[in-house]
Parts: sequence; C-alpha cells; structure tokens
Amino acid sequence: MSALGGKAAGGDSINPVGTVVGLVIILVSIGITAVLGSSLVIPLIGIIVGGALIAFGVHFVPVGGAPAAMGQAPGIATGVAMLAAGAGLAGLFGGAWAFETTGDFLISIIGGAVGGGLMMAITCLMVNATYVFAMGIPAASGKIAKDPITGDTFPEYKSQGTEGHGLPFISFVGGVIGGLIAGLGGTIIYIELLDAYSTGLATLMQAKPEAIAPLAISLAGIFAIGFFLVNAVLAAYNITGTIEGPHDPKFKRVPRAIIGCAVASAFCGLISLLLVTNIGM
Amino acid sequence: MTAKMEASEGKMPHNKLLTYGLVIAVVGTYLTYLNVLTGVAVFSFFGGIAAVAAIWWGSDTIKHLCSYGLGTGVPSAGMIAFGSGAIAMIVGTKFGIASPIVTVILAAILGAVIGYTANNIINMNIPVMIMSLMELAIVGALTMLGFASMATGSFEFNQLIIGSMSLSVENAGAAAGGAQTFLVTAIPQYGNSLIGGAALAVIFFLGALALQHPFNACLGPNESQDRTLMLALSCGFLSMIVVAVISLVFLGLLAGVINLVISLIAWFYCYKTYIDLSKRDAYAWLDSKPIIEVGGDQ
Repeated sequence: MSALGGKAAGGDSINPVGTVVGLVIILVSIGITAVLGSSLVIPLIGIIVGGALIAFGVHFVPVGGAPAAMGQAPGIATGVAMLAAGAGLAGLFGGAWAFETTGDFLISIIGGAVGGGLMMAITCLMVNATYVFAMGIPAASGKIAKDPITGDTFPEYKSQGTEGHGLPFISFVGGVIGGLIAGLGGTIIYIELLDAYSTGLATLMQAKPEAIAPLAISLAGIFAIGFFLVNAVLAAYNITGTIEGPHDPKFKRVPRAIIGCAVASAFCGLISLLLVTNIGM
Repeated sequence: MTAKMEASEGKMPHNKLLTYGLVIAVVGTYLTYLNVLTGVAVFSFFGGIAAVAAIWWGSDTIKHLCSYGLGTGVPSAGMIAFGSGAIAMIVGTKFGIASPIVTVILAAILGAVIGYTANNIINMNIPVMIMSLMELAIVGALTMLGFASMATGSFEFNQLIIGSMSLSVENAGAAAGGAQTFLVTAIPQYGNSLIGGAALAVIFFLGALALQHPFNACLGPNESQDRTLMLALSCGFLSMIVVAVISLVFLGLLAGVINLVISLIAWFYCYKTYIDLSKRDAYAWLDSKPIIEVGGDQ
C-alpha cells in the first residue's frame, strides 16, 4: 500500500479482542503441553520467546521492495519475508555449528546471532555499494531529516518525487541489529527443539541417543525453518511493504507483531512437540 | 509489489477447484498404500500426482489471497504455506494409516490459528485471510506428504525415518539401511532416511517454489485462470522430476524409473500446453511497430 501512498490495511492500533484471544491461545498451548509432558514446557517457552524475537528483529531490517530496486525508496530491494528468512537461516547455520562444536547454549545462540547479523551486514554493504557506485545515488531517507547516529542531513540529497533512496547509516545499523535479534530467536527455537527431540525421540523409539542424533538434528532444523518462515511472514504482514529501520513510523506497530508471532509460535510449538509425545504411533 | 493486483475471475469456481484438489491429493496419497498391499513399490508415483494436485489448487488460493494487496509479495504466501504445512505434515505422519486425514485436520487447525493471528492480532482485516491460510497450510502439508510418499513409498513416520523400505524381502535389519552395531546392540542408520538425511528439506523447497511461482509469474492485466493453473501443473511436475530422482535412492531402480518417466511425460505435456496458452494470451503489436529486421520473417 505504501508504495502508492495509501493507508496500511489495519492502522497502528492494537485490536483488544484479538489480543486477548491470542493470549488465551498461548496459555492453552502451554497448558496442553504441560499435561502431555511437563519436560516439554521449557522448550515451548523457548519457542515462544524465539518467535517474539524473530518478529522484533524483522522490523529492523530495511526493505524497499520494487521501489528500492528503482532507487525510489531506501532499503534493500526485496521482500521482508525473503530477507528475514535469509538472515534467519544464516543465523541458524551459525548457531547449529556452534552447538555441535561446543554444546554450550549461550555460545550457540550468540553464534546464531552473529551469523544473522553478518549476513545482514554483508547484504547492506553490497546494497550500498550498488546504490552508490553503480546507480550513482546518495543515501537519503525521506522519513526523517537527520540521521540519528551520524547527524548527516537528508533533505538536500533527496530526489523529488521519491521517498528517499540508498541505504542511510541508521538503516544499515538497524539491519545488522535486526539480523542479530532474528538470528538469536531462530537459534533459540532450533536448540530448544533439538533438546526436546534428542531426549524425547530416544525414549519414544527406545534407541540410543547416538543413533537418534541425525534424526533429531534434521527434524529440529526443518521445524526451525518452518517456524522462521511463519514468523517472518507474519511480521512482514505487519510491515506491509517497505520499512527503513528503527526510525520508520511503521516501527510503532512492533508490539502487535510480537504478540501475533508469540501466539502463532505457541500453537505451532504445541503441534511440533506432539511428535515426542505418545499420541499416535 | 504493493498495488492491488487484478486477478481474472476464471471459468472454474474456487470451491470446485478446492474440492478437486483436496480429494485428488488425499486419495492419491492413499493410493501409495497399494505398495504395502501388493509388496512392490511401483505405485509410489500416485504420491507425486497427489502433491501436484495440491499445488494446482494452492496456486488458485494464492491468487485469491494475493489479489488483496498484502504488500509482502506473492512468494511470502508460498513460504507461510510450507512453514506451517511442514509442521503439520511431520507430526501427521505419526498416525499410521490415518496420516493423510490427520495431516489435513492438523494443518487446517494450524492454518486457522495463524490466519486468526494475521487477521485479528496483526489487524490485516482481509475477508479471505483465515480461509486462505487454512487452505495454504493444508496445501503445504499435502504437497510435502505426497512428495515424501513418492520418494519413500510410504506416508508413515516409521518408514520416513528408516533408511529404505521394509516391504522388500530383506530382513528388518538390512531394510533399516544396513544396521550398525553400537555396544553390541544393532542400531538402524536413521541418517540414511528421508527425514534423517534431510532430503525432506529439499522436498520442502521444491514444493514451495512450485507453489509460489505460478501466480507470481502470470499476474498482470491479462492473467487468465487456465494459463496460471497450467503453469502450476507444469511447476508441480518439474518438482516431481527431482523427487523421482530422489526416489531412486529409496525405492530402487524399477519404481524410481517409473516415477521419472511419468513425471517427465506429464511435465512435457503441461509445459507445451502452457506455451500454447501463453501464445494465445499474448497480444499482437497494434500501433507501435517493432523494428523490422532485414531478412527476417517480416
């Protein structure tokens, strides 16, 4: 909508009825999980926290879509969901590698965060190189007059009839922060699922943990990708199109995305943890 | 990417498409059970046909949803479909012979919750949102289930995590991908299976690409339903070719080659028809003339 100057679908306010129903869904999911197996509650809470972190991180990522490709809006020229998934998966690889090498929870989630942040840093750098050296346009935001970090002013560089162009420093920093947070969230989900599956499947299938390891890793990986895509697309729905980073007015909508993604993650988490309960099979 | 897209009304109503797609997908997945009944794996290709039917129906759902201008681009619909579908499908396979039905039910509930979240918490306020995300979750789940049963010959969790099919004449230990000994106890090599070897991740993206591409490629002023759906079939069979190659590992030469031949023939037919439909829908030059090339057709 924003590309045409129209109003975003639902405004900036929080829907009270929907939010209350959402919180009930979270509590019911935790309740059902507690009934099925008390050891699964901690992984579920980890999944909910991870989903909320992904929703928060995605809002920092500067995306401009097709207008940015034409140099008419600041940001990276692709959709929110694509870019968030890229950062998240890069983080997931980093975190998974760190977990396999060290087995330490804290080091792994930091590894995941660094992976996601690195992917965004490289993407932002190359995007700016393309804008400045290939398209010959200076980075300028249309949403604010002054870069909050460097203090550079924008209006004198902004072309008429555009929303700004290039990737201002604040958006660059925002992108890296977004990659860090989203990578962190994705890695928490992966490690919690891996933990639940490697103990749960070994008990359920009466197999040695060594034999179950490849299965638990693949399942946790595929589920983590699934969670990441669901959360990234829900956050993208909240942004509807373009966002420049933390200074963008759309950033005010963050709370409802966090609630929404927490609800979706709670319910998806409940379903995915059914795998290690005695239901079925 | 954010403007309202014009989608053609089309000759076939969406509910009819939904019914056909759902029935063919579920029945097709069940037909792979003939493998177990007859003891040969040659009926696996029904799983691929089930997956293509789901993609065919899903691309029309994407058209319905994305004609509302979500501002996120068409591909995001394919991503949320497979993100939620993967969760429902893997858990659904635990229910043995009831797997396809349970997968549909789980995916529908999951899609409804995500749709409610998008519509009422994130405030999208799009009338078809909940129904579309329900449909897309089912499409994602059935596509993955269909392709998984085509690759391994079974839709049951136990078969998806063990190296090769146990319906062969070999004993259980050999069927489990050549058992490995660990402290005297024999352990199956789960790492050689569809899920353990993460071949399911390949199926995940093969399905997602086939689902998100057709409407994205065809949208525009003269989008027509039959052309978009034909492209969906073409993309579906293209993915099926790759799954057929994967199935060579799990099912052996005979069943794998049958899968490959069927998907190649079907893809070729659909692609050719799609090109014909594209030529039908392409406009002739009217006012502005192209530069006439000397020695060309003109």
